[in-house]
Amino acid sequence: MFHNTKCECGHQNHAGTVLCESCGKPLDAELAGDNAPLEMRYDGAARRSQKANPGLIDRVWNFFSSVKIAVILIVITLLGAMLGTIYPQEGTFINFNDPEYYEDTYGLPGKIYYMLGLSHTYESWWFIGLLVMIGTSLVICSLDRVLPLYKALNKQQIRKHLQFITRQKVVYTGRIDDADTEEWTVRLGEQLRKRNYKVYRDGDALLAEKNRFSRWGPYINHIGLILFLLAVLARSIPGWHMDTYAVVPEGDTVRLADTNYYLKNVEFSVDYYSNEELPEELRDTVRAKKYQTKAELYECVDNCAGTQGEPVLEKVTEHDIIVNSPLSYKGLKAYQFDYDPTPKLKAVNPMLVDKKTGEAYGPFHLSITEPEMLYELGPYRLELITRFMDFTINEQGKPATKSREPNAPAFLFLVKGPELDPAGETFIYFPKQVDKQRFSQDILNRELAERIEFRVDSMEEVEISGATTYLNIRIDKAMPYIWVGAAISMIGLVMGFYWNHRRIWLRIDNGILSLGAHTNKNWYGMRNDVAAVLRRMGIELDPKSLDNGGNKT
Amino acid sequence: MKGKMRKPVQIVILIGVLLLGGYAIGKTLFVSGGAPKIGDKPPAFELAGLNGDVHKLEDYKGKPMIINFWGTFCPPCVKEMPEFQNQYDKWHSKGLEILAINLSEDDITVRSFLRDFDLDYTILRDHEKTVEKRYGLRSYPTTFFVAADGTIQDIFVGGMTEQDIDTRVEKLLQG
Amino acid sequence: MNWLDISSSAFIAAFFLYCFAFLFYVIAVAGRKWSNRKPEEHVRKWSRVGFVFSTIGLAAHLVFFFTRWAGAGHIPTSNMYEFMTFLGMSIMIAFTIIYLIYRSPLLGMFALPLTIVIVAYAAVFPQKVQPLVPALQSNWLKVHVTTAALGEAFFAVGFAAGLMYLLRVIDFKGTDKAARRAQRWIEFTLYVIIVIVGFIGAVFLFRGMDYQASFTQTTISYDKTGAESITEDKVEYTLPPIVKPYNSETTSIEPFLGMKSPLFEAPSWMNGANAGRKLNTVIWSVIAGTLLYGLLRLVFRKPLGAVIHPTLEGIDPEDLDEISYRSIAIGFPVFTLGALIFAMIWAEQAWGRFWGWDPKEVWALITWLYYSAYLHLRLSRGWQGHRSSWLAVIGFIVVMFTLIGVNLIIAGLHSYAGVDG
Repeated sequence: MFHNTKCECGHQNHAGTVLCESCGKPLDAELAGDNAPLEMRYDGAARRSQKANPGLIDRVWNFFSSVKIAVILIVITLLGAMLGTIYPQEGTFINFNDPEYYEDTYGLPGKIYYMLGLSHTYESWWFIGLLVMIGTSLVICSLDRVLPLYKALNKQQIRKHLQFITRQKVVYTGRIDDADTEEWTVRLGEQLRKRNYKVYRDGDALLAEKNRFSRWGPYINHIGLILFLLAVLARSIPGWHMDTYAVVPEGDTVRLADTNYYLKNVEFSVDYYSNEELPEELRDTVRAKKYQTKAELYECVDNCAGTQGEPVLEKVTEHDIIVNSPLSYKGLKAYQFDYDPTPKLKAVNPMLVDKKTGEAYGPFHLSITEPEMLYELGPYRLELITRFMDFTINEQGKPATKSREPNAPAFLFLVKGPELDPAGETFIYFPKQVDKQRFSQDILNRELAERIEFRVDSMEEVEISGATTYLNIRIDKAMPYIWVGAAISMIGLVMGFYWNHRRIWLRIDNGILSLGAHTNKNWYGMRNDVAAVLRRMGIELDPKSLDNGGNKT
Repeated sequence: MKGKMRKPVQIVILIGVLLLGGYAIGKTLFVSGGAPKIGDKPPAFELAGLNGDVHKLEDYKGKPMIINFWGTFCPPCVKEMPEFQNQYDKWHSKGLEILAINLSEDDITVRSFLRDFDLDYTILRDHEKTVEKRYGLRSYPTTFFVAADGTIQDIFVGGMTEQDIDTRVEKLLQG
Repeated sequence: MNWLDISSSAFIAAFFLYCFAFLFYVIAVAGRKWSNRKPEEHVRKWSRVGFVFSTIGLAAHLVFFFTRWAGAGHIPTSNMYEFMTFLGMSIMIAFTIIYLIYRSPLLGMFALPLTIVIVAYAAVFPQKVQPLVPALQSNWLKVHVTTAALGEAFFAVGFAAGLMYLLRVIDFKGTDKAARRAQRWIEFTLYVIIVIVGFIGAVFLFRGMDYQASFTQTTISYDKTGAESITEDKVEYTLPPIVKPYNSETTSIEPFLGMKSPLFEAPSWMNGANAGRKLNTVIWSVIAGTLLYGLLRLVFRKPLGAVIHPTLEGIDPEDLDEISYRSIAIGFPVFTLGALIFAMIWAEQAWGRFWGWDPKEVWALITWLYYSAYLHLRLSRGWQGHRSSWLAVIGFIVVMFTLIGVNLIIAGLHSYAGVDG
């Protein structure tokens, strides 16, 4: 369809050129015969992708260089993203490992949702695929348009073809009575300069232009977006990204998974809103105002595998972690995520009471997690046989533990002492009162229960650990690039949307002024500019009358 | 840009897209959750045994082995232990190694528990669930059968009968 | 008189000023053809009056905002009431900016009712100042919410102008397929707007009557080990219960028009927090909106689109199209900055992740993708006029869903911590 690429002005154009690159004359015969406003996109230059005989690479290239395809990709991504919001994503749960969750909670639709993989929409191959395609489209679309546009804008001819001028969307033609048309043009140029236009003159032809930089806005925006997407991708480089949780009871030191760091929860505190601070309907409800973990971070310097006793730790930093203020050390960050205020039993200090004599021995310190193997109390000797964290009686009728969590701790001792079997007698002890009754401690201990008991005299003899803090441990080395990408993208958007590129061409032929103007956005402002300048030159007109139709973008 | 530069530029960009995009999509397909699967190499570890001696996975390179995760709180794990001992007696001379990793329980619990058993195979002690997480464990017991070439031949979740173990070990030693 | 009292008085003042301003804009536009006056002069005079009133209204609204800020001790954008009033205020700011560029009184005729509806909708929610949970105590949050709302306000003005364009250009006398389809859809759009008005009307009507009903809902859930746990929740209704919560017993009910017990029970899959009540509210909104719509149809005896269409005659549709587009183009960077970039900065600070695919975040992204598709279609594919205006109208639905729908529907079916409707 584009046969004749040589313009009558003598310029040899590339295949696919709509308007002559030099004088702006419509090249296509059909287009030249028409009188409708011209399509000014990329100034009528050939887009890179338009080529006579496309091969495979050209075809792929053309596919991604099409704005239509880009919009279709955007719309599909948008619809896909919607699907992901129907039910909560797997990522919402700290540790998702229950394939039946969706069916149990939402029934059949939930089951289908899970089976289709929509429960992890945003990590699915097709969603990532769409993002990759959008990224590709961003690169190719931009590259394909910015170069011809740059060339077209970089070497503009001042005197344009008459048809080019009169077929712009903002047009004025009229008689100039001044004899010296060149002088008139100079004066008009002055007026345009006052409006911040750059003015180029060639006899009685003139080109005025302003804010060309705004044309680069979209491309800068796209560069920012590409950088952003690459930065997101970079997070999968090993060591660049980590995201785990640490559960640290008050007073404990916990190793941060996959790192050489240990974090100590020195103190955890919660402030609640007082009744005066709460509106009436919320009075007497518990609302956290602030919660804080006083944390210390340690680095392991020796025996980190824990194979030779305890690892050797060295304190590196400390910080009071609150919700908007994480602990930060060499790219590792610990964020306050949640907390569990339920106290946990840490240790008890019971007395051993000889029921016959009424004499009490002790108290002795019995830690739940790190008990001593042997306690000597007056004439008595307690040898720890074993300890159950979560006591139960198993199928064989033997005492066992149900889990690793200290839900129902129990201690089995071998007791030796006066009037007892010299080989010792077994005695089981539940530090928690509820467990004592639930598992009938006295029945389990049979006769020995008549002889001795462990008694905790006051609440002071019970050591309870404070709240447990839940911290989110993160490393994200891609963050700076993500922010840079976002910033560049934002700069591009502002350039592109809050300024617009305006151009005015005019020529005077035999006392007839032909003026055409073009902008990429905001025709309203363009017409006002032209009308204001013409008014200064003594031509009064309504800006609206400059409209040549089709002024919509 | 000159016309003749165009083709190379296109090719470079498309190859770049193919590599980066392929990597991004491939990641979603092949790495899920990080748990080792059949055919993978078992994740490395370095753990203390009962006497405090250090065992590294690479020390057992070239040997067929069973990596079993167990805890005293898990009845099927406990039930398996004598069966593993029988298998160990039967196949150790053929090179079979059994590494039974305890699920981060404390000293007293493990020691007093093992007093009731007479086990010869290697018991290892995990620390703060590090290795357990690395192996992506979801329930206990879980047993990995690793062939002599260092790849996981089978993964069994749940308690096994002696028969279950036997057939798998035979297969392991054939390969 | 303390800050909060001044604040609520200013709010009421702003509301009525907006109503008057709307009236004057209508006079400005519709009164052009009145006898014995020059149309241009009439328009200039009355639109000036309208603009003065809307500007004073905005000033009162700003007084409301800042006195509430002073009274509450934190920026009033933390619950639904505060956010929606802020959105209304942002729309007025956006309107004022666009008005100063284009000086079209017609825009006032559409942007003001939009603001009025949004502000009235805000008043449906509890108005008490609430304390902030720790995650919300951040400066980035203030910047994020305000900027995002401003961006959305420009989209709202784009929607108003797009709707005007459609009402102006759709051929209401046409009988061919395309014309009929356009008529139907524009009528449907107007109907939806009236349903929202109906919702607000119903809530205030029954609030005025002090209506109350309550239910005890029993929820049975199973945990991982299969153990059953039963919870009982009290559900309060302020609208007569057509639908009661799933698996619930009536504790108290005031009879309404002879209705002494709920007619239906909500289906079991609606198991989220207050799902039954929300469903009941939706049913009431549709009933009230349909009644209102029917009444208007009876009064005018023709489709509402055809009623509004003649008042817009003589207005250049291309101006409307451009206002709609420009408004969106101005709003897009603001929205990008507020709803995405500032949101990411805040999320990074508070939770250590700049993006977490939370439904609200996803919908902000969907809105952004939607408007970027709009801009590409318009700038590169030449979608203008009809198509572009429809996109602007649909776009605003997406915006409203992001703001309200996500909290009401998604949070209603699941149990996200959301703002209760």
